[in-house]
Amino acid sequence: MIKANQQDALGIIFANSYDKEVSSLVNERLMASIPFASRYRLIDFNLSSMVNNSIDNITVIVRKNYRSLLRHLGSGRPWDLARKSGGLNIVPPYAEKNVKVYYGRIEALASILVFLKQQKEEYVFITDSNIAANFDYKDMLAFHKENGADVTIAYKNEPIPYGFMNLQASPSADLYYTLDFQDRRVVAIHTNPKDYGPQNLSMNIYLIRRELLIEQVERAYADGKTFFERDILSPQLDVLKVYGYEFKGYTARITDMVSYYNENMKLLDPENLEQLFAPSRIYTTVRDDNPTRYIGRPKVKNSMVADGCIIEGEVENCVLFRGVKIGRGTVVRNSIIMQDTQIAGNCTLDYLITDRNVEITSGQELKGSPSFPLFIPGFKKI
Amino acid sequence: MSKEMIAMILAGGQGSRLYALTDKLAKPAVPFGGKYRIIDFPLSNCVNSGIDTVGILTQYQPLVLNEYIGHGQPWDLDRLYGGVHVLPPYQQASGSDWYKGTANAIYQNLAFIRRFDPEYVIILSGDQICKQDYSDFLDFHKKNDAEFSVAVMEVPWDEASRFGLMVTDSSDRITEFQEKPKDPKSNLASMGIYIFNWDVLEKYLTEDEANPESSNDFGNDIIPALLRDGRKMYAYRFSGYWKDVGTISSLWEANMEVLDPENSGIDLFDNDWKIYSRNSGLPGHRVGEEAVIEDSMITDGCVINGTIRHSILFSGVTVEPGAVVENSVIMSNTTIKAGCKVTHSIIAENVTLEENVKVGAVPSSAAKEIATIGSNVTVGKGAVIGAKAMIKEDVKEGEVHD
Repeated sequence: MIKANQQDALGIIFANSYDKEVSSLVNERLMASIPFASRYRLIDFNLSSMVNNSIDNITVIVRKNYRSLLRHLGSGRPWDLARKSGGLNIVPPYAEKNVKVYYGRIEALASILVFLKQQKEEYVFITDSNIAANFDYKDMLAFHKENGADVTIAYKNEPIPYGFMNLQASPSADLYYTLDFQDRRVVAIHTNPKDYGPQNLSMNIYLIRRELLIEQVERAYADGKTFFERDILSPQLDVLKVYGYEFKGYTARITDMVSYYNENMKLLDPENLEQLFAPSRIYTTVRDDNPTRYIGRPKVKNSMVADGCIIEGEVENCVLFRGVKIGRGTVVRNSIIMQDTQIAGNCTLDYLITDRNVEITSGQELKGSPSFPLFIPGFKKI
Repeated sequence: MSKEMIAMILAGGQGSRLYALTDKLAKPAVPFGGKYRIIDFPLSNCVNSGIDTVGILTQYQPLVLNEYIGHGQPWDLDRLYGGVHVLPPYQQASGSDWYKGTANAIYQNLAFIRRFDPEYVIILSGDQICKQDYSDFLDFHKKNDAEFSVAVMEVPWDEASRFGLMVTDSSDRITEFQEKPKDPKSNLASMGIYIFNWDVLEKYLTEDEANPESSNDFGNDIIPALLRDGRKMYAYRFSGYWKDVGTISSLWEANMEVLDPENSGIDLFDNDWKIYSRNSGLPGHRVGEEAVIEDSMITDGCVINGTIRHSILFSGVTVEPGAVVENSVIMSNTTIKAGCKVTHSIIAENVTLEENVKVGAVPSSAAKEIATIGSNVTVGKGAVIGAKAMIKEDVKEGEVHD
């Protein structure tokens, strides 16, 4: 039989990764379904990258607040994942007898072992949801094979983001990892280091042979271990051949509210936008909005605007999601306005993040700052 | 299981008066209103009215239309039983025929309709811009216990002789049909939208086919035959927005009307009556530092650094700094480079205007002259495309076309 799926790898996406760091955005959702870049959700980038790299058997592991994600994913058709074999597989807690609300990755993977054993793909990609990138999974797999690696970790050489540096030391804190190499082989994995300057910061994208993953997870789970990186990889760096794959493409990594704000704003630079949306398309659900309408002579500068907006006022350095209305005499600057937010006339807004369906009545003056954008929760009326 | 009403959309029209725009595609596939094609209107109307079984009769240049319709998912018409079906003419045991006329097109697909055993069949035109609730129309048809109903528009009396007219009694029962008469007795113009009782449709199409004298056309043959037999025929008055975009200037005008929904009546922002289409999937449009956008509609994926006034831009259009686009329709993935001036024009998909090209002119007379550039054309630097021009092939640098 011809293998349509040339990559021979399946994908596992953790949808709730780093939820805690953007708590106001995930009040009614999870990291994977956070709106990003005018009309997408963060998971669109991973799903599209996988599909564009011929990975078409994708499991999304969700922990809580997943209603909005389920609604977004539907049958998986927008990503061409509505398939008879493979396609999209969503695993909520209690999906089966042995699937519970997991704490670490090992528990989560242990709960889908039966599924993993039934699959045919030789390799497994595991990824989080807090990075938007046009990721080249093919290239990473080629790198993995070339090195005869057991595990490959994708990393980006960049400074540790402020959001990570700020993490409190507590047993329940989110974890991030930096890597030390000898040649390209990983010789040390540091958990939550606080070093300045560019580091080999893990993207939490892992590639591993399916059989090896099953074997490792079974053993670690039996031993009561929690974290894949800390408890499986780190102690076995001498036994397992773990390699680092440097991703040189564009990444938008969400680690806190400020990075969420900044990563949206960075896309106003056409070069960044082009890199994130190339080489391949990013797919998302279609809402059938009409084109955006400019009424009269609104002043719009340096902004990204999705379909379905009605603009009568002034907009500068903004990202407007679908169905946003900006009234006459209103000035919006340096803001992220999520879907279906209605802003009446004669408002002055600066450094704002409004979640979806916010209503701002006429004449309001609201101002945040670059280091602390003012956040307005969804469905609030001001 | 039978369907109450299924729809048959006549989409074979060549639209020859749209010239360069219908060179490679049928009129129903012509892009409209920023992200739609004309056929999105009848298709969306069907779905919004509760019709889930639609046959689309194609003939002329069906490739683009076939690909566009696909399995019908954008309109929610990918159904297990019913859904959308593209019906081209096909080879039969007795030989193959192109569709000879509108009635013959339906006749050749009677077997398709029979499969769904409907009570009623609505015949629609695939090349009209109109938002219409067909369930209202069907209610009217049932209330009058009609066998045939036709949707009509009141037109000004002095224009009535350009249309097929329904003469009715006080209860809107049709007593006479006048095709483009010199002395109109009515100002109720047929919109070419019919509801038939299925048994009546089947009988009259079969009889019409057997008549070698017939032109196999609903207006010329079927409606007169129904009248002759004294069938119960009613005229359903429709008063919403309706446009048959048969010419370049009417297509341009209808697009301009989309920009003014408050006055024109064609509101695409109606969440209760969405028009569905196949979407580009591109990120939101980007507006640069130098851009000016006034009274316009812009779609996902556009990159705007020039000046846009009173225009409609489809997805993925690039307008470079210093370029000016006014009163124009620019279709998907077209690039307008620096220094271009485009006014009163329709520019089709995948066109490139190199630097400093001039297209169109403000009309000097009442005659609306709209410069038109067909798809995949490259216009060289500094070329001038006049107001009457109809460009289908690449234009060299500096060339002048009147």
